[in-house]
Amino acid sequence: MSSFDHSHELPALDPRVAGAAAEGCRESRLLLSRRSMLGITASLFSSAFLPDFAKADTDPQARFFIVMLRGGMDGIGMVIPKLDPHYEEMRRELALPDSATLSLGSDFALHPALSTVHAMFGASDAVVIPAAGLPLRNRSHFECQDNLENGLPANLPNATGWLNRLFGALPAGDPVRKRFGLEIGEAPMILRGPEPVLGWSPTWYTKSNPDVLARLEPAYKSLAPELWDSLQRGLAADALATASGAGTSNEISVLRKGFIGAARLLRASTGPRIAALTVDGWDTHADQGGAAGQFRDRLAELDVALNDIKAELGPVWSKTVVCCVTEFGRTVRTNGDSGTDHGVGTAALLVGGALKGGIVGDWPGIAENQLYEGTALTPTVDLRAVFKGVLRDHIGVPLDILNTKVFPESAAVKPLGKLVDSPVTTTARVAASSSPLTNEEVAPIVRYRKRYGS
Amino acid sequence: MTLRRDQERLAHLAMNRFGLGAKPGGIARIRDNPKAALKRELEKTGIADITNSTLPSYVQACQVVHTDFNAEHKLKEKELTARFNQHLKPEIGFVERLVLFFSNHFSMSILKDGAIRATIGQLERDVIRKNVLGSFNRMLLGVMKHPAMIRYLDNEDSIGPNSTSGINWGVGLNHNLAREILELHTLGVGGGYTEDDIDGLAKIITGWSFVRGWEAAGKYNGGNERNRGQFIYRKDWHEPGAQRVLGKLYGGSGVAQGESVLSDLARHPSTAQFIAFKLVHHFITDDPTPAMVEPLADAFKSSHGDLKAVAEALIDLPEAWTLPMTKIRTPYELQIAQFRALGRIYEADERWPFYSSLNTLRNIPWERVTPDGYPDETQYWEGPDAMRIRMETAPINSYSLLFKGPFKTAPAVLAGQLFASAISKASLQAIANATEQYVGIATLFMIPEFQRR
Repeated sequence: MSSFDHSHELPALDPRVAGAAAEGCRESRLLLSRRSMLGITASLFSSAFLPDFAKADTDPQARFFIVMLRGGMDGIGMVIPKLDPHYEEMRRELALPDSATLSLGSDFALHPALSTVHAMFGASDAVVIPAAGLPLRNRSHFECQDNLENGLPANLPNATGWLNRLFGALPAGDPVRKRFGLEIGEAPMILRGPEPVLGWSPTWYTKSNPDVLARLEPAYKSLAPELWDSLQRGLAADALATASGAGTSNEISVLRKGFIGAARLLRASTGPRIAALTVDGWDTHADQGGAAGQFRDRLAELDVALNDIKAELGPVWSKTVVCCVTEFGRTVRTNGDSGTDHGVGTAALLVGGALKGGIVGDWPGIAENQLYEGTALTPTVDLRAVFKGVLRDHIGVPLDILNTKVFPESAAVKPLGKLVDSPVTTTARVAASSSPLTNEEVAPIVRYRKRYGS
Repeated sequence: MTLRRDQERLAHLAMNRFGLGAKPGGIARIRDNPKAALKRELEKTGIADITNSTLPSYVQACQVVHTDFNAEHKLKEKELTARFNQHLKPEIGFVERLVLFFSNHFSMSILKDGAIRATIGQLERDVIRKNVLGSFNRMLLGVMKHPAMIRYLDNEDSIGPNSTSGINWGVGLNHNLAREILELHTLGVGGGYTEDDIDGLAKIITGWSFVRGWEAAGKYNGGNERNRGQFIYRKDWHEPGAQRVLGKLYGGSGVAQGESVLSDLARHPSTAQFIAFKLVHHFITDDPTPAMVEPLADAFKSSHGDLKAVAEALIDLPEAWTLPMTKIRTPYELQIAQFRALGRIYEADERWPFYSSLNTLRNIPWERVTPDGYPDETQYWEGPDAMRIRMETAPINSYSLLFKGPFKTAPAVLAGQLFASAISKASLQAIANATEQYVGIATLFMIPEFQRR
């Protein structure tokens, strides 16, 4: 267990946030949401907000989105192994004829719903990893989602998320750290922990009536100015995330709104650099469908949403990596309900202008004797290797931080190299002292006992 | 006049800091002696009990475990409906707040497994509610020997490495439940336990399991259809011998060995301090001081964990009546307060829009994923995004509550019935200026006096 420095928890002002506020991370000031464990005084952020797209030379340019596909996405349905002679016999009615798929060359093809991703692949803006997996392979949604997000070699109760630990391990004042991580919608474990987190939720509600808010203003300003300040920042952030265009329409799904909003908030030069999103609905036990059906519909919406990110980012797309990952894959054989059950290995999909593009990792084969525990795709790439490759070469996080703080005890899992076009150098950073592995160290009772004794 | 204003301010505190929000006329009914009104609630026989003969017993709820998702889900929804309508009954709702507090203290998520989904409502009724003004020790024991908690914190497969099955199968301990008992449910972090104590406790509760669906159906491991879902002690899985926890050697055998540790933990001074701290933190302030925590801890210790004595100590805290109301209602508490304000009841078929704002604001009951429960830190609930969504959803909640039936009271008049003089002129003005009734009611929900508690 690491020894976490509690000395900065006692004063009301959190110096990490004070520093960020002083240096003008304005989008960050808008959104600071106390979904993580420590308290931050809202009155720190009393200044009014205006969107600012001014560029500073010292701004880190790289953007990183992690998209978690919840429920266990069927990798073989997304990335079809044309090369494998057992594909049709295993997949039966779910198998797609070669002519219906989008070719990635001689060995693999994409599901036809992924036309945008296919175009990105053609432009060397997509990396396809056909057989990735996690250290934990017990096929439990709950535990494998935790494992994907806690970045540990095995399960640890009440663990913090690896993205939160990344921010904690970067030195104070680091330009990525001081912009915080952004969570869209739900508060996923990957960002859970002591480091401050930004949050914005796409909603379909009618926006608050300005007249009603104006009538409330005098009461709030006299009775609860900090709540009013918080509300103003929330409104401004929402306006930024949903400003004119597709983001304001209720014609599009909340999912797409989330992707569009995330892109808008990360596009701004002073905004956050890293965002986490989640997409539900991949647990296709029955009637999964092939070229049509529920699985196809999920992929199609994801395809559109990824295109939304590209469109909204504009020139920043060239500095971007989006990782789409899931907690496990599905059984290789189609089951009796024309669906697939919980498996192990599965595809990971990376898109973004910063990528080199291509297909990465070996194909394990899906003959009877090649399956994991007789039913699942055998992973050939550890997802931590993917994340470490992106974080090192794209964000510039030194390997020792990745091996110890972000993905503890993972030195044997080498980062995947050559994922991005122009890897950044990593020598500039030295790890901050530490960040805790579990949430227990930041519980309110700890602060009380440290101050007043047990 | 000044005297009445003071009394109404105290009644407002009682209704909101301690309770679930006033009903129309509530302030006027308790203003003569708000403190006594709170204490009367503690004396009322059966105040915490949900009397609904169609809700299942322990055995009946367990029968649903791992049968089918829809059956488990339907039962959970029925329990939630009964729970929610129970919040609407009492004049103040202090005891209901205590129920919510202890339910959150032993937080579980129905998202993890059907055993939890099917039985969590029964656990709350028969373990939390039954003991919420009684013994903390009995509550702790009841929760830990319940299938929902056993499953939630993974104790059902925890097998002593030196037990018969441990030796035969080469399997071992799961520390999760033991760790959280010490960290979250009794002593609290920094309460004086070590990794060795966790290990000792984990060994002592090996074999504390429940009958899973496949065990009931296939008659494995002592299971059958009659004991489906129920707590079961598996002797062959229990680590033999005495174990040390917090310096004390626990001999004995069977379930009694674990019961004996839990009873000691339930009356440990660190537990008293932790529960006292959490209550003050939840009800009064984000920054409890020893002057506030110690009277509650003392009441806990001298009464051997009598939660009614602790609740009385909370009412008697001077700070509870003097500190400004800086906490904010959780989204769930806000929903309850809205229903109470309009005197509506909740019907099972109106899951939407009831859950819409709870979902967006991430405060659905029994769905906190992590075992630490929903946070009590005010800042967790009043972030920029949350404040924006609170304002966006107020009109939806207002509209749907009005839609349930005739409601003739003008919003400003209702504000008077709910707050008496304990409302600012500015807030009253904002409500009165609304031109449509549903906007006026929404504005009432949005004023700081309604959001704060």
